[in-house]
Amino acid sequence: MRLPVLLAALVAVATCTETFVGHQVLRVVPKSDEELQKVQELQALEHLQLDFWLAPRGLGFPVDIRVPFPSLQPVKAHLEASGVSYSIMIEDVQALVDEEQTEMLRSSRRLPLDTNAFNYEAYHTLDEIYNFMDMLVAENPSLVSKLEIGRSTEDRPLYVLKFSTGGMNRPAIWIDTGIHSREWVTQASGVWFAKKIVQDHANNEGVASILETMDIFLEIVTNPDGFAFTHSKNRMWRKTRSKNSGSICVGVDPNRNWDAGFGDAGASGNPCMETYHGPYPNSEPEVKSIVDFVKSHGNIKAFISIHSYSQLLLYPYGYTSTPAPDQQELHELSAKAVAALSSLYGTKFKYGSIITTIYQASGSTIDWTYNQGIKYSFTFELRDTGRYGFLLPAKQIVPTAEETWLALKVIMEHARDNMY
Amino acid sequence: DIDGVGHKYYLELELEDVLDKGRTVSCTAEVLYHLGSKSTAPDVQATVQGELRSTEEADKEFYNRVRSLPKELVAENIPDSHGNVPPELEPIHLLAWAASGYVTWQNSTESTKFHLAQVKHVKQVKRSDEDLQFDYVLLLHEMVSQEVLPWEVTVLWHPQRGARVSRERRQPGHA
Repeated sequence: MRLPVLLAALVAVATCTETFVGHQVLRVVPKSDEELQKVQELQALEHLQLDFWLAPRGLGFPVDIRVPFPSLQPVKAHLEASGVSYSIMIEDVQALVDEEQTEMLRSSRRLPLDTNAFNYEAYHTLDEIYNFMDMLVAENPSLVSKLEIGRSTEDRPLYVLKFSTGGMNRPAIWIDTGIHSREWVTQASGVWFAKKIVQDHANNEGVASILETMDIFLEIVTNPDGFAFTHSKNRMWRKTRSKNSGSICVGVDPNRNWDAGFGDAGASGNPCMETYHGPYPNSEPEVKSIVDFVKSHGNIKAFISIHSYSQLLLYPYGYTSTPAPDQQELHELSAKAVAALSSLYGTKFKYGSIITTIYQASGSTIDWTYNQGIKYSFTFELRDTGRYGFLLPAKQIVPTAEETWLALKVIMEHARDNMY
Repeated sequence: DIDGVGHKYYLELELEDVLDKGRTVSCTAEVLYHLGSKSTAPDVQATVQGELRSTEEADKEFYNRVRSLPKELVAENIPDSHGNVPPELEPIHLLAWAASGYVTWQNSTESTKFHLAQVKHVKQVKRSDEDLQFDYVLLLHEMVSQEVLPWEVTVLWHPQRGARVSRERRQPGHA
Protein backbone atom coordinates (compact mmCIF):
# COMPACT_ATOMS: atom_id res chain seq x y z
CA MET A 1 0.00 0.00 0.00
CA ARG A 2 2.93 2.33 0.74
CA LEU A 3 4.74 2.30 -2.63
CA PRO A 4 1.83 3.32 -4.88
CA VAL A 5 1.03 6.16 -2.51
CA LEU A 6 4.62 7.39 -2.58
CA LEU A 7 4.78 7.13 -6.36
CA ALA A 8 1.48 8.92 -6.79
CA ALA A 9 2.60 11.68 -4.47
CA LEU A 10 5.80 12.14 -6.50
CA VAL A 11 3.88 12.25 -9.74
CA ALA A 12 1.46 14.71 -8.20
CA VAL A 13 4.27 16.99 -7.09
CA ALA A 14 5.86 16.75 -10.52
CA THR A 15 2.65 17.51 -12.38
CA CYS A 16 1.12 19.84 -9.78
CA THR A 17 -2.09 17.79 -9.52
CA GLU A 18 -3.71 16.55 -6.35
CA THR A 19 -3.98 12.83 -5.70
CA PHE A 20 -6.40 11.02 -3.44
CA VAL A 21 -4.86 7.55 -3.44
CA GLY A 22 -5.79 5.74 -0.26
CA HIS A 23 -8.05 8.53 0.98
CA GLN A 24 -11.31 7.41 2.54
CA VAL A 25 -14.58 9.20 3.25
CA LEU A 26 -15.95 8.36 6.67
CA ARG A 27 -19.47 9.07 7.88
CA VAL A 28 -20.30 9.77 11.52
CA VAL A 29 -23.84 10.42 12.76
CA PRO A 30 -23.45 11.98 16.26
CA LYS A 31 -26.11 10.62 18.59
CA SER A 32 -25.13 12.55 21.71
CA ASP A 33 -23.49 15.82 22.66
CA GLU A 34 -20.34 13.94 23.64
CA GLU A 35 -20.14 12.32 20.21
CA LEU A 36 -20.74 15.67 18.52
CA GLN A 37 -17.94 17.18 20.57
CA LYS A 38 -15.54 14.43 19.60
CA VAL A 39 -16.22 15.07 15.93
CA GLN A 40 -15.86 18.81 16.35
CA GLU A 41 -12.50 18.23 18.03
CA LEU A 42 -11.29 16.68 14.80
CA GLN A 43 -12.04 19.91 12.94
CA ALA A 44 -9.49 21.76 15.05
CA LEU A 45 -6.65 19.33 14.28
CA GLU A 46 -5.28 21.04 11.16
CA HIS A 47 -2.30 18.75 10.74
CA LEU A 48 -4.68 15.90 9.90
CA GLN A 49 -5.69 17.80 6.71
CA LEU A 50 -9.29 16.64 7.05
CA ASP A 51 -11.77 17.76 4.39
CA PHE A 52 -15.32 17.95 5.75
CA TRP A 53 -17.70 17.21 2.89
CA LEU A 54 -20.58 17.57 5.37
CA ALA A 55 -19.69 19.64 8.39
CA PRO A 56 -21.11 18.92 11.86
CA ARG A 57 -24.59 20.48 12.09
CA GLY A 58 -26.19 18.89 15.14
CA LEU A 59 -27.41 15.62 16.57
CA GLY A 60 -28.69 13.15 14.00
CA PHE A 61 -27.14 14.97 11.02
CA PRO A 62 -24.48 13.04 9.07
CA VAL A 63 -20.88 14.29 9.12
CA ASP A 64 -18.84 13.21 6.09
CA ILE A 65 -15.07 13.52 6.30
CA ARG A 66 -12.48 12.89 3.60
CA VAL A 67 -9.45 11.56 5.47
CA PRO A 68 -6.05 11.53 3.74
CA PHE A 69 -4.26 8.21 3.92
CA PRO A 70 -1.68 9.21 6.58
CA SER A 71 -4.45 10.44 8.92
CA LEU A 72 -6.67 7.35 8.66
CA GLN A 73 -5.17 5.51 11.60
CA PRO A 74 -5.19 8.45 14.08
CA VAL A 75 -8.74 9.50 13.11
CA LYS A 76 -10.18 6.01 13.45
CA ALA A 77 -8.34 5.53 16.73
CA HIS A 78 -9.74 8.85 18.06
CA LEU A 79 -13.30 7.84 17.16
CA GLU A 80 -13.04 4.26 18.40
CA ALA A 81 -11.50 5.33 21.71
CA SER A 82 -14.58 7.48 22.42
CA GLY A 83 -17.02 4.80 21.25
CA VAL A 84 -18.12 6.91 18.28
CA SER A 85 -19.26 4.62 15.48
CA TYR A 86 -18.50 5.46 11.89
CA SER A 87 -18.94 3.88 8.48
CA ILE A 88 -16.65 3.94 5.45
CA MET A 89 -18.61 5.65 2.67
CA ILE A 90 -15.80 5.61 0.13
CA GLU A 91 -12.98 3.07 0.41
CA ASP A 92 -10.67 4.84 -2.05
CA VAL A 93 -11.44 8.33 -3.30
CA GLN A 94 -8.87 8.12 -6.11
CA ALA A 95 -10.63 5.08 -7.57
CA LEU A 96 -13.81 7.13 -7.91
CA VAL A 97 -11.93 10.03 -9.45
CA ASP A 98 -10.29 7.73 -11.98
CA GLU A 99 -13.64 6.21 -12.86
CA GLU A 100 -15.09 9.68 -13.47
CA GLN A 101 -12.15 10.61 -15.70
CA THR A 102 -12.68 7.52 -17.83
CA GLU A 103 -16.36 8.27 -18.09
CA MET A 104 -15.71 11.84 -19.14
CA LEU A 105 -13.30 10.77 -21.83
CA ARG A 106 -15.79 8.20 -23.08
CA SER A 107 -18.56 10.77 -23.46
CA SER A 108 -18.85 13.16 -26.37
CA ARG A 109 -16.65 15.76 -24.70
CA ARG A 110 -13.65 14.04 -26.25
CA LEU A 111 -12.48 15.98 -29.31
CA PRO A 112 -13.87 14.48 -32.54
CA LEU A 113 -11.41 13.35 -35.19
CA ASP A 114 -12.94 15.25 -38.08
CA THR A 115 -15.86 17.50 -39.00
CA ASN A 116 -17.94 14.48 -40.02
CA ALA A 117 -17.67 13.08 -36.49
CA PHE A 118 -18.47 16.46 -34.91
CA ASN A 119 -21.79 16.53 -33.06
CA TYR A 120 -23.85 19.33 -34.65
CA GLU A 121 -26.80 18.46 -32.42
CA ALA A 122 -25.13 19.58 -29.22
CA TYR A 123 -23.85 22.80 -27.71
CA HIS A 124 -20.09 23.11 -27.52
CA THR A 125 -17.39 24.95 -25.60
CA LEU A 126 -15.15 27.63 -27.08
CA ASP A 127 -12.24 25.20 -27.38
CA GLU A 128 -14.41 22.67 -29.19
CA ILE A 129 -15.58 25.28 -31.69
CA TYR A 130 -12.07 26.62 -32.28
CA ASN A 131 -10.91 23.03 -32.79
CA PHE A 132 -13.76 22.50 -35.27
CA MET A 133 -12.58 25.51 -37.28
CA ASP A 134 -9.05 24.15 -37.51
CA MET A 135 -10.31 20.75 -38.63
CA LEU A 136 -12.53 22.34 -41.29
CA VAL A 137 -9.62 24.33 -42.68
CA ALA A 138 -7.33 21.28 -42.60
CA GLU A 139 -9.92 19.23 -44.49
CA ASN A 140 -10.59 21.90 -47.11
CA PRO A 141 -7.44 23.97 -47.49
CA SER A 142 -8.24 25.27 -50.94
CA LEU A 143 -11.69 26.55 -49.98
CA VAL A 144 -11.44 27.57 -46.33
CA SER A 145 -8.95 29.72 -44.46
CA LYS A 146 -8.96 31.11 -40.94
CA LEU A 147 -8.25 34.80 -40.35
CA GLU A 148 -7.47 36.38 -37.00
CA ILE A 149 -9.04 39.83 -37.18
CA GLY A 150 -8.14 40.92 -33.67
CA ARG A 151 -8.10 39.90 -30.01
CA SER A 152 -10.79 40.21 -27.39
CA THR A 153 -10.51 42.16 -24.12
CA GLU A 154 -9.29 39.00 -22.37
CA ASP A 155 -6.89 38.41 -25.26
CA ARG A 156 -8.74 35.60 -26.97
CA PRO A 157 -8.25 35.41 -30.73
CA LEU A 158 -11.14 36.64 -32.89
CA TYR A 159 -11.38 34.23 -35.81
CA VAL A 160 -13.19 34.59 -39.13
CA LEU A 161 -13.50 31.77 -41.62
CA LYS A 162 -13.09 32.79 -45.24
CA PHE A 163 -14.71 30.66 -47.92
CA SER A 164 -13.33 31.48 -51.36
CA THR A 165 -12.77 29.76 -54.67
CA GLY A 166 -10.24 32.34 -55.76
CA GLY A 167 -10.13 35.77 -57.31
CA MET A 168 -8.81 38.97 -55.79
CA ASN A 169 -10.94 40.70 -53.15
CA ARG A 170 -14.20 39.42 -54.64
CA PRO A 171 -17.52 40.98 -53.57
CA ALA A 172 -18.30 39.30 -50.28
CA ILE A 173 -20.98 38.27 -47.82
CA TRP A 174 -20.40 38.60 -44.08
CA ILE A 175 -22.20 36.49 -41.48
CA ASP A 176 -21.61 36.71 -37.74
CA THR A 177 -23.07 34.66 -34.91
CA GLY A 178 -22.64 34.83 -31.14
CA ILE A 179 -22.13 38.57 -30.72
CA HIS A 180 -24.38 38.22 -27.69
CA SER A 181 -22.88 35.30 -25.85
CA ARG A 182 -25.99 33.86 -24.18
CA GLU A 183 -27.68 33.32 -27.56
CA TRP A 184 -26.20 29.82 -27.84
CA VAL A 185 -28.27 28.61 -30.80
CA THR A 186 -26.49 31.21 -32.94
CA GLN A 187 -22.90 30.02 -32.42
CA ALA A 188 -24.17 26.46 -32.85
CA SER A 189 -25.87 27.47 -36.10
CA GLY A 190 -22.69 29.20 -37.25
CA VAL A 191 -20.81 25.92 -36.89
CA TRP A 192 -23.49 24.18 -38.96
CA PHE A 193 -23.35 26.92 -41.63
CA ALA A 194 -19.60 26.46 -41.97
CA LYS A 195 -19.94 22.75 -42.59
CA LYS A 196 -22.87 23.35 -44.94
CA ILE A 197 -20.89 25.74 -47.13
CA VAL A 198 -18.15 23.15 -47.50
CA GLN A 199 -20.65 20.40 -48.30
CA ASP A 200 -22.51 22.50 -50.89
CA HIS A 201 -19.23 23.30 -52.57
CA ALA A 202 -18.18 19.65 -52.63
CA ASN A 203 -21.53 18.59 -54.10
CA ASN A 204 -21.73 21.54 -56.50
CA GLU A 205 -25.14 22.58 -55.20
CA GLY A 206 -26.68 25.27 -52.98
CA VAL A 207 -24.16 28.06 -52.40
CA ALA A 208 -21.60 26.54 -54.79
CA SER A 209 -22.82 28.92 -57.49
CA ILE A 210 -22.53 31.91 -55.15
CA LEU A 211 -18.93 30.92 -54.37
CA GLU A 212 -18.09 31.17 -58.08
CA THR A 213 -18.26 34.94 -57.93
CA MET A 214 -18.37 35.87 -54.24
CA ASP A 215 -16.54 35.13 -51.01
CA ILE A 216 -18.24 34.31 -47.70
CA PHE A 217 -16.83 35.46 -44.35
CA LEU A 218 -18.19 33.78 -41.22
CA GLU A 219 -17.36 34.81 -37.66
CA ILE A 220 -18.81 32.04 -35.48
CA VAL A 221 -17.85 33.24 -32.00
CA THR A 222 -17.97 37.01 -32.26
CA ASN A 223 -17.79 37.46 -28.50
CA PRO A 224 -15.50 34.70 -27.15
CA ASP A 225 -14.97 36.27 -23.71
CA GLY A 226 -18.70 36.41 -23.14
CA PHE A 227 -19.11 32.90 -24.49
CA ALA A 228 -16.48 31.48 -22.14
CA PHE A 229 -18.25 33.27 -19.29
CA THR A 230 -21.59 31.68 -20.17
CA HIS A 231 -19.92 28.30 -19.76
CA SER A 232 -17.96 29.02 -16.62
CA LYS A 233 -20.00 31.44 -14.52
CA ASN A 234 -23.23 32.87 -15.88
CA ARG A 235 -25.26 31.29 -18.64
CA MET A 236 -27.24 34.52 -19.04
CA TRP A 237 -24.25 36.78 -19.85
CA ARG A 238 -24.85 38.97 -22.91
CA LYS A 239 -22.16 41.61 -23.12
CA THR A 240 -18.39 41.70 -23.57
CA ARG A 241 -16.16 41.33 -20.51
CA SER A 242 -14.38 44.67 -20.55
CA LYS A 243 -13.85 46.51 -17.28
CA ASN A 244 -15.68 49.79 -16.95
CA SER A 245 -13.67 52.48 -15.23
CA GLY A 246 -15.36 53.86 -12.16
CA SER A 247 -17.78 50.94 -11.92
CA ILE A 248 -17.79 47.46 -10.48
CA CYS A 249 -19.98 46.36 -13.36
CA VAL A 250 -18.40 44.58 -16.30
CA GLY A 251 -19.11 44.56 -20.00
CA VAL A 252 -20.44 46.56 -22.91
CA ASP A 253 -23.33 45.60 -25.18
CA PRO A 254 -21.54 44.92 -28.48
CA ASN A 255 -24.77 45.64 -30.33
CA ARG A 256 -24.92 49.21 -29.01
CA ASN A 257 -21.25 50.04 -29.47
CA TRP A 258 -21.27 50.84 -33.19
CA ASP A 259 -20.94 54.34 -34.61
CA ALA A 260 -24.52 54.87 -35.76
CA GLY A 261 -26.63 57.03 -33.52
CA PHE A 262 -24.18 56.10 -30.75
CA GLY A 263 -25.45 57.03 -27.31
CA ASP A 264 -28.90 58.09 -28.53
CA ALA A 265 -32.09 56.75 -27.00
CA GLY A 266 -32.16 53.00 -27.30
CA ALA A 267 -29.00 52.27 -25.34
CA SER A 268 -28.00 52.76 -21.73
CA GLY A 269 -25.24 54.95 -20.32
CA ASN A 270 -25.10 52.81 -17.19
CA PRO A 271 -22.29 50.21 -17.17
CA CYS A 272 -24.43 47.89 -15.03
CA MET A 273 -27.13 47.59 -17.68
CA GLU A 274 -27.38 44.97 -20.40
CA THR A 275 -27.64 47.61 -23.15
CA TYR A 276 -24.69 49.73 -21.97
CA HIS A 277 -23.23 51.33 -25.09
CA GLY A 278 -19.71 51.71 -23.77
CA PRO A 279 -17.56 54.81 -23.24
CA TYR A 280 -17.26 55.63 -26.98
CA PRO A 281 -18.01 53.96 -30.33
CA ASN A 282 -15.86 50.91 -31.14
CA SER A 283 -14.43 50.86 -27.62
CA GLU A 284 -14.85 47.10 -27.72
CA PRO A 285 -12.12 45.19 -29.62
CA GLU A 286 -14.79 42.69 -30.70
CA VAL A 287 -16.54 45.53 -32.53
CA LYS A 288 -13.45 47.48 -33.65
CA SER A 289 -11.95 44.41 -35.30
CA ILE A 290 -15.02 44.00 -37.51
CA VAL A 291 -15.11 47.72 -38.31
CA ASP A 292 -11.46 47.60 -39.37
CA PHE A 293 -12.03 44.46 -41.40
CA VAL A 294 -15.08 45.83 -43.23
CA LYS A 295 -13.36 49.12 -44.03
CA SER A 296 -10.16 47.56 -45.27
CA HIS A 297 -11.96 44.90 -47.30
CA GLY A 298 -14.09 47.53 -48.97
CA ASN A 299 -16.12 45.11 -51.05
CA ILE A 300 -18.69 43.59 -48.72
CA LYS A 301 -22.14 43.53 -50.32
CA ALA A 302 -24.27 41.82 -47.70
CA PHE A 303 -23.83 41.84 -43.92
CA ILE A 304 -25.89 39.56 -41.71
CA SER A 305 -25.64 39.57 -37.91
CA ILE A 306 -27.37 36.73 -36.12
CA HIS A 307 -29.06 36.81 -32.71
CA SER A 308 -31.72 34.95 -30.78
CA TYR A 309 -34.51 34.85 -29.70
CA SER A 310 -37.82 36.18 -31.11
CA GLN A 311 -38.06 34.85 -34.67
CA LEU A 312 -37.58 38.11 -36.53
CA LEU A 313 -35.80 39.32 -39.65
CA LEU A 314 -34.79 42.96 -39.26
CA TYR A 315 -33.25 45.66 -41.46
CA PRO A 316 -32.11 49.22 -40.60
CA TYR A 317 -32.73 51.50 -38.84
CA GLY A 318 -32.88 50.99 -35.11
CA TYR A 319 -31.65 54.40 -33.99
CA THR A 320 -34.10 56.48 -35.99
CA SER A 321 -37.61 56.14 -37.36
CA THR A 322 -36.54 57.74 -40.63
CA PRO A 323 -36.99 54.90 -43.15
CA ALA A 324 -33.85 53.56 -44.79
CA PRO A 325 -33.59 54.74 -48.42
CA ASP A 326 -33.73 51.11 -49.60
CA GLN A 327 -36.59 50.25 -47.28
CA GLN A 328 -38.86 48.93 -50.02
CA GLU A 329 -36.32 46.56 -51.52
CA LEU A 330 -35.19 45.36 -48.08
CA HIS A 331 -38.80 44.78 -47.05
CA GLU A 332 -39.57 42.73 -50.15
CA LEU A 333 -36.36 40.75 -49.80
CA SER A 334 -37.22 40.05 -46.16
CA ALA A 335 -40.60 38.71 -47.19
CA LYS A 336 -38.94 36.27 -49.59
CA ALA A 337 -36.33 35.21 -47.08
CA VAL A 338 -38.91 34.60 -44.36
CA ALA A 339 -41.10 32.59 -46.74
CA ALA A 340 -38.15 30.37 -47.59
CA LEU A 341 -37.35 29.89 -43.90
CA SER A 342 -40.91 28.99 -43.10
CA SER A 343 -41.16 26.50 -45.93
CA LEU A 344 -39.06 23.94 -44.07
CA TYR A 345 -40.72 23.48 -40.66
CA GLY A 346 -43.46 26.12 -40.66
CA THR A 347 -41.53 28.39 -38.29
CA LYS A 348 -43.13 31.82 -38.37
CA PHE A 349 -40.99 34.95 -38.54
CA LYS A 350 -42.04 38.59 -38.47
CA TYR A 351 -39.98 41.16 -40.35
CA GLY A 352 -39.45 44.89 -40.68
CA SER A 353 -37.09 47.64 -39.60
CA ILE A 354 -35.53 47.31 -36.14
CA ILE A 355 -37.30 50.35 -34.72
CA THR A 356 -40.78 49.42 -35.95
CA THR A 357 -40.53 45.71 -35.25
CA ILE A 358 -38.62 45.33 -32.01
CA TYR A 359 -37.65 48.59 -30.26
CA GLN A 360 -35.47 51.63 -30.64
CA ALA A 361 -31.83 50.58 -30.46
CA SER A 362 -28.93 52.95 -31.05
CA GLY A 363 -25.37 52.06 -31.98
CA SER A 364 -26.40 48.73 -33.49
CA THR A 365 -24.36 46.72 -35.96
CA ILE A 366 -26.41 46.84 -39.12
CA ASP A 367 -27.20 50.56 -38.82
CA TRP A 368 -23.47 51.16 -39.07
CA THR A 369 -22.86 48.68 -41.88
CA TYR A 370 -25.80 50.09 -43.84
CA ASN A 371 -24.48 53.62 -43.46
CA GLN A 372 -21.15 52.36 -44.77
CA GLY A 373 -22.95 51.52 -47.99
CA ILE A 374 -23.62 47.82 -47.39
CA LYS A 375 -27.15 47.82 -48.72
CA TYR A 376 -28.11 44.27 -47.72
CA SER A 377 -27.67 44.63 -43.99
CA PHE A 378 -29.87 42.30 -41.93
CA THR A 379 -30.22 41.05 -38.39
CA PHE A 380 -31.88 37.74 -37.59
CA GLU A 381 -33.46 36.80 -34.29
CA LEU A 382 -33.67 32.99 -34.38
CA ARG A 383 -35.86 30.52 -32.42
CA ASP A 384 -37.84 30.57 -30.28
CA THR A 385 -40.45 33.14 -29.18
CA GLY A 386 -40.00 32.72 -25.43
CA ARG A 387 -40.88 29.18 -24.41
CA TYR A 388 -37.21 28.30 -23.91
CA GLY A 389 -35.71 31.61 -24.97
CA PHE A 390 -31.95 31.53 -24.60
CA LEU A 391 -32.06 27.94 -23.30
CA LEU A 392 -33.23 26.43 -26.57
CA PRO A 393 -33.05 22.63 -26.37
CA ALA A 394 -30.08 21.25 -28.28
CA LYS A 395 -32.29 19.10 -30.47
CA GLN A 396 -33.57 22.31 -32.07
CA ILE A 397 -30.11 23.44 -33.18
CA VAL A 398 -30.05 21.65 -36.53
CA PRO A 399 -33.67 22.46 -37.54
CA THR A 400 -33.00 26.10 -36.63
CA ALA A 401 -29.79 26.19 -38.66
CA GLU A 402 -31.42 24.44 -41.62
CA GLU A 403 -34.35 26.81 -41.87
CA THR A 404 -32.21 29.90 -41.30
CA TRP A 405 -29.85 28.78 -44.04
CA LEU A 406 -32.70 28.88 -46.56
CA ALA A 407 -33.32 32.53 -45.68
CA LEU A 408 -29.61 33.34 -45.85
CA LYS A 409 -29.43 31.80 -49.32
CA VAL A 410 -32.24 34.03 -50.54
CA ILE A 411 -30.36 37.09 -49.31
CA MET A 412 -27.01 35.92 -50.72
CA GLU A 413 -28.51 35.08 -54.11
CA HIS A 414 -30.24 38.45 -54.27
CA ALA A 415 -26.96 40.21 -53.48
CA ARG A 416 -25.21 38.24 -56.18
CA ASP A 417 -27.93 38.99 -58.75
CA ASN A 418 -28.19 42.66 -57.86
CA MET A 419 -24.56 43.73 -57.74
CA TYR A 420 -24.01 47.36 -56.91
CA ASP B 1 -57.18 56.07 -25.41
CA ILE B 2 -59.48 56.81 -22.52
CA ASP B 3 -58.90 60.39 -21.41
CA GLY B 4 -57.83 60.71 -17.83
CA VAL B 5 -57.85 56.94 -17.35
CA GLY B 6 -55.36 55.18 -19.57
CA HIS B 7 -55.03 52.94 -22.65
CA LYS B 8 -57.40 50.07 -23.27
CA TYR B 9 -56.62 47.15 -25.58
CA TYR B 10 -59.17 44.71 -26.99
CA LEU B 11 -57.60 41.37 -27.77
CA GLU B 12 -58.67 38.27 -29.66
CA LEU B 13 -56.33 35.46 -28.79
CA GLU B 14 -55.86 31.85 -29.78
CA LEU B 15 -54.52 29.74 -26.94
CA GLU B 16 -52.49 26.68 -27.82
CA ASP B 17 -52.12 23.77 -25.41
CA VAL B 18 -48.38 23.35 -25.07
CA LEU B 19 -48.78 19.70 -24.09
CA ASP B 20 -51.25 18.91 -26.85
CA LYS B 21 -50.13 20.85 -29.89
CA GLY B 22 -52.87 21.41 -32.40
CA ARG B 23 -55.41 21.79 -29.63
CA THR B 24 -56.43 25.45 -29.58
CA VAL B 25 -59.11 27.47 -27.88
CA SER B 26 -60.22 31.07 -28.49
CA CYS B 27 -60.04 33.75 -25.89
CA THR B 28 -61.05 37.41 -25.76
CA ALA B 29 -59.57 39.90 -23.33
CA GLU B 30 -59.63 43.55 -22.36
CA VAL B 31 -56.50 45.08 -20.88
CA LEU B 32 -56.44 48.53 -19.33
CA TYR B 33 -53.07 50.16 -18.60
CA HIS B 34 -53.62 52.91 -16.05
CA LEU B 35 -52.38 56.36 -16.95
CA GLY B 36 -49.02 57.29 -15.48
CA SER B 37 -49.05 54.45 -12.98
CA LYS B 38 -46.01 52.22 -13.00
CA SER B 39 -46.94 50.58 -9.73
CA THR B 40 -50.42 49.29 -10.44
CA ALA B 41 -50.96 46.21 -12.50
CA PRO B 42 -53.07 46.63 -15.63
CA ASP B 43 -56.72 45.57 -15.31
CA VAL B 44 -57.42 42.37 -17.16
CA GLN B 45 -60.74 40.76 -18.05
CA ALA B 46 -60.52 37.54 -20.03
CA THR B 47 -63.07 35.04 -21.31
CA VAL B 48 -62.19 31.62 -22.68
CA GLN B 49 -64.51 30.36 -25.40
CA GLY B 50 -64.57 26.61 -25.18
CA GLU B 51 -63.19 23.98 -22.86
CA LEU B 52 -59.73 23.46 -21.51
CA ARG B 53 -58.43 19.89 -21.48
CA SER B 54 -58.98 18.01 -18.23
CA THR B 55 -55.78 17.39 -16.30
CA GLU B 56 -57.33 15.61 -13.30
CA GLU B 57 -55.32 12.37 -13.70
CA ALA B 58 -51.97 14.08 -14.09
CA ASP B 59 -52.72 16.56 -11.30
CA LYS B 60 -53.52 13.78 -8.85
CA GLU B 61 -50.43 11.80 -9.84
CA PHE B 62 -48.16 14.82 -9.36
CA TYR B 63 -49.79 15.77 -6.06
CA ASN B 64 -49.44 12.28 -4.61
CA ARG B 65 -45.88 11.90 -5.89
CA VAL B 66 -44.74 15.14 -4.23
CA ARG B 67 -46.63 14.45 -0.99
CA SER B 68 -44.92 11.08 -0.66
CA LEU B 69 -41.35 12.33 -1.21
CA PRO B 70 -39.13 11.48 1.80
CA LYS B 71 -37.49 14.93 1.70
CA GLU B 72 -38.73 18.30 0.45
CA LEU B 73 -38.17 18.72 -3.28
CA VAL B 74 -35.22 20.95 -4.22
CA ALA B 75 -34.02 21.65 -7.73
CA GLU B 76 -32.18 24.27 -9.73
CA ASN B 77 -31.50 25.40 -13.30
CA ILE B 78 -34.65 24.30 -15.09
CA PRO B 79 -34.05 24.05 -18.01
CA ASP B 80 -30.29 23.55 -17.75
CA SER B 81 -27.80 25.42 -19.95
CA HIS B 82 -28.53 23.05 -22.84
CA GLY B 83 -32.31 23.43 -22.64
CA ASN B 84 -32.91 20.07 -20.95
CA VAL B 85 -35.66 19.48 -18.38
CA PRO B 86 -35.64 16.09 -16.61
CA PRO B 87 -39.13 14.55 -17.14
CA GLU B 88 -39.91 14.35 -13.40
CA LEU B 89 -39.30 18.08 -13.11
CA GLU B 90 -41.52 19.06 -16.02
CA PRO B 91 -44.57 19.79 -13.79
CA ILE B 92 -42.36 22.04 -11.62
CA HIS B 93 -41.31 23.83 -14.80
CA LEU B 94 -44.92 24.23 -15.98
CA LEU B 95 -46.02 25.50 -12.58
CA ALA B 96 -43.22 28.08 -12.69
CA TRP B 97 -44.39 29.13 -16.10
CA ALA B 98 -47.94 29.66 -14.87
CA ALA B 99 -46.65 31.62 -11.87
CA SER B 100 -44.44 33.76 -14.11
CA GLY B 101 -47.58 34.67 -16.07
CA TYR B 102 -49.06 36.12 -12.92
CA VAL B 103 -45.83 37.93 -12.02
CA THR B 104 -45.64 39.32 -15.56
CA TRP B 105 -49.18 40.62 -15.28
CA GLN B 106 -48.49 42.29 -11.95
CA ASN B 107 -45.34 44.02 -13.23
CA SER B 108 -46.16 44.90 -16.84
CA THR B 109 -46.43 48.28 -18.47
CA GLU B 110 -46.90 49.12 -22.12
CA SER B 111 -43.10 49.17 -22.47
CA THR B 112 -42.21 45.80 -21.01
CA LYS B 113 -42.15 42.30 -22.42
CA PHE B 114 -41.35 39.50 -19.99
CA HIS B 115 -40.51 35.86 -20.56
CA LEU B 116 -39.52 33.21 -18.06
CA ALA B 117 -35.83 32.60 -18.84
CA GLN B 118 -35.12 29.87 -16.29
CA VAL B 119 -36.09 28.43 -12.94
CA LYS B 120 -32.93 29.27 -11.04
CA HIS B 121 -33.94 27.52 -7.84
CA VAL B 122 -37.01 25.85 -6.38
CA LYS B 123 -37.55 24.54 -2.88
CA GLN B 124 -40.65 22.82 -1.60
CA VAL B 125 -41.90 24.02 1.76
CA LYS B 126 -43.90 21.52 3.80
CA ARG B 127 -47.28 22.81 4.93
CA SER B 128 -49.77 21.70 7.54
CA ASP B 129 -52.72 22.21 5.17
CA GLU B 130 -53.47 20.39 1.91
CA ASP B 131 -51.64 22.80 -0.43
CA LEU B 132 -48.23 22.18 -1.94
CA GLN B 133 -45.91 25.16 -1.52
CA PHE B 134 -42.93 25.90 -3.74
CA ASP B 135 -40.57 28.81 -3.15
CA TYR B 136 -39.06 29.70 -6.51
CA VAL B 137 -36.32 32.00 -7.68
CA LEU B 138 -37.27 32.65 -11.29
CA LEU B 139 -35.14 34.45 -13.85
CA LEU B 140 -37.35 36.76 -15.86
CA HIS B 141 -36.00 38.13 -19.13
CA GLU B 142 -37.29 41.61 -19.94
CA MET B 143 -37.02 42.17 -23.69
CA VAL B 144 -36.77 45.97 -23.94
CA SER B 145 -34.03 46.45 -21.35
CA GLN B 146 -32.64 42.95 -22.01
CA GLU B 147 -32.23 42.52 -18.26
CA VAL B 148 -32.51 39.07 -16.70
CA LEU B 149 -34.09 39.68 -13.31
CA PRO B 150 -34.15 37.24 -10.40
CA TRP B 151 -37.60 37.10 -8.86
CA GLU B 152 -38.69 35.38 -5.65
CA VAL B 153 -42.10 33.76 -6.12
CA THR B 154 -44.05 31.62 -3.66
CA VAL B 155 -46.57 29.35 -5.34
CA LEU B 156 -49.32 27.35 -3.67
CA TRP B 157 -50.90 24.51 -5.61
CA HIS B 158 -53.68 22.02 -5.04
CA PRO B 159 -55.32 19.68 -7.59
CA GLN B 160 -58.77 21.20 -7.08
CA ARG B 161 -57.86 24.70 -6.00
CA GLY B 162 -55.24 25.23 -8.72
CA ALA B 163 -52.24 27.55 -8.56
CA ARG B 164 -51.96 30.75 -6.56
CA VAL B 165 -49.02 33.11 -6.15
CA SER B 166 -49.00 34.07 -2.49
CA ARG B 167 -45.88 36.22 -2.61
CA GLU B 168 -43.70 37.72 -5.31
CA ARG B 169 -40.90 40.24 -5.28
CA ARG B 170 -37.89 41.16 -7.32
CA GLN B 171 -34.85 39.73 -5.53
CA PRO B 172 -33.04 42.57 -3.75
CA GLY B 173 -29.36 43.27 -4.53
CA HIS B 174 -27.93 43.36 -8.05
CA ALA B 175 -26.07 40.63 -9.96
